[in-house]
Amino acid sequence: MKKLAVVLCIFLMLGSFAFAQGSEEGKAKKSNLRVGMVTDAGTIDDKSFNQGTWEGILKASKDYALDAKYLKPAGTTEADYLKEIGNLVDAGYNFIVCPGFKFETALFEAQDKYPNVKFVILDGEPHSADYSEYRIEPNVVAVYYAEHESGFLAGLAAALQIKEGDFGFVGGMEIPAVQKFNWGFQQGIAYANENYGTKIMMKQENNLYQGSFDNISAGQQIAASMYDRGVDVIFAAAGGVGVGVINEAKNRASSGQNVWVIGVDVDQYPEGVLPSGKSIILTSAMKYLDRASYDMIVAELNGSFPAGEVLTFTAANKGVGIPAENPNLDKAVTDEVSKVSAMIASGELKVRASGDGLFK
Amino acid sequence: MWNTLVSIFPYAIAYTIPMLMTSLGGLYSERSGVTNLGLEGLMLVGYFASAITIKMSEATLGINALPIGLLVGVAAGAIFSLLHAFASINLKADQVISGTAINMLAAALTVYLARTISGSGNVRIMMGIVRKNIPFLSKIPIIGPLFFSQSYWTTWVCLAIWGLSWILLYKTSFGLRLRACGEHPSAVASAGISVHKMRYFGVAMSGALAGLGGAVILITYSGEFNGTVAGLGFLSIAALIFGQWKPLGILGATFFFGIATTIANVSQVIPSLQVIPPVFFKIFPYVATLLALVLFSKNSAAPKASGEPF
Repeated sequence: MKKLAVVLCIFLMLGSFAFAQGSEEGKAKKSNLRVGMVTDAGTIDDKSFNQGTWEGILKASKDYALDAKYLKPAGTTEADYLKEIGNLVDAGYNFIVCPGFKFETALFEAQDKYPNVKFVILDGEPHSADYSEYRIEPNVVAVYYAEHESGFLAGLAAALQIKEGDFGFVGGMEIPAVQKFNWGFQQGIAYANENYGTKIMMKQENNLYQGSFDNISAGQQIAASMYDRGVDVIFAAAGGVGVGVINEAKNRASSGQNVWVIGVDVDQYPEGVLPSGKSIILTSAMKYLDRASYDMIVAELNGSFPAGEVLTFTAANKGVGIPAENPNLDKAVTDEVSKVSAMIASGELKVRASGDGLFK
Repeated sequence: MWNTLVSIFPYAIAYTIPMLMTSLGGLYSERSGVTNLGLEGLMLVGYFASAITIKMSEATLGINALPIGLLVGVAAGAIFSLLHAFASINLKADQVISGTAINMLAAALTVYLARTISGSGNVRIMMGIVRKNIPFLSKIPIIGPLFFSQSYWTTWVCLAIWGLSWILLYKTSFGLRLRACGEHPSAVASAGISVHKMRYFGVAMSGALAGLGGAVILITYSGEFNGTVAGLGFLSIAALIFGQWKPLGILGATFFFGIATTIANVSQVIPSLQVIPPVFFKIFPYVATLLALVLFSKNSAAPKASGEPF
């Protein structure tokens, strides 16, 4: 037993040496800016929010030789987030990116606690836990996306491509960012029906929020039921739930059914690829997540950090839209969509960010 | 209502099968006298091992990568479960703690390995099994559309394993000895049979079957390893208790959980089910388990020596 203990101790020591060296990578630094990120629910490679934001940070850290690190909190409560923010600050990180509305209350506290640290919050702005007080300090910038414009363009593109059919929407949690995708999507379909004579239907029961972002099996079963009930295209704005939707569509497409999925947040085309080389992703309603983190870091380096501002990335500043390449869309469709996108950008066409008169 | 049932039945079966396999694994282990709370972790290991195998080989092997992935998942689960077997049989450690350790280790190790090997914590395979209607059988009225349409071939493999396990455990002398190890191990030892070997077999089977369960999740409904089996392993333990440690009991219990969860998931899509709030269906399996425990705990059929080192 004693021998075993000695051996274990040696392993422990070796292990700690190995890890001790890990933190000394990447020495040459031009700026003293050190960029940290705390991940939201899900992993750093969620092919969505965390990943997009992190890619922007990585790009900036490469371009400007910055130090970058992310921490994954143990849970998704305010205390978990504050703890990891504190850890990053203690480790000398002075620019922290927080992707997701769940950080709103944590940042409300952190902005006062760490006045010398710059924060970027995506999809939200700092407020107190009971929503009674909204306050944004000069060390924070809040970034919103016009998801409704993104959803509008994706809905329009899909409607123009399919022309006649039944559409569905599967959301994750019923939170503003997801709701705006849904509302924009419905307006996009309606716009296509009115102005281009397409015949796209959307039934109330085919428009739902699953209630989580990680339940793959629920996504698969919901998608299966929708396709069974005659839906042709599902817009999945639902993280891991969307993984199940995509998997179900692939299964059906490979047995010859004509079903489609509209991706979300990032260009999900590669995830819908079948062995035949085709993809079941019609198009994706994108938010250029990497741009927000990248732009904010660059702004800070140039001394033009938009202190205390609430920004919105829209079609006008190319913050949202559909992917540049859409192999499943006809050229005529993408041309028409970019025309409408320009109309939205110029303000000629307004997409509402509210659900009045729409499903959910 | 009938149409609704027909349309969701195949999905409920698909969801049930991984749980059934894992629960059956738990049955082997507990019947041999080793409590196995590590089923969740063992499932995860199988889930991961098959995902990484299929991802690496699907480009060259195509559809044949799927059965290979299944086998690797089974093997990985069995090997990983030997840790639990060694701790609880040779070292006579507390089996509850050892099982919990398996769960924690598996959750961390699989994500770490996934990152190291594939560069991402989410391992996506290109194509799972395509559902098919079984010729002739799916044309039988009533049971045809319920059981033989839209089915994955793994479902039938797993049901065969379930049937064979029943025969092995209840109709052979080997099965009698295995079960005796969970009831009265010293009697088995006095008959000149190695209790340790029998228990090793039981635990390794639980690992193999839980690994199979995880692999089936991957190639049927999920299509991506994402670092969690969402509590299905624990639900399988609940099904084992609810099913009173009997093969037919766990078949019923897992199917009951499977259909309740499926109804909960799809109730939002189907107008006729929308009258009942989905939260009711979601808590249903857990409440039912609690009730079953309350009702049956007096004359629980748990193997008497389960959890006792020998």
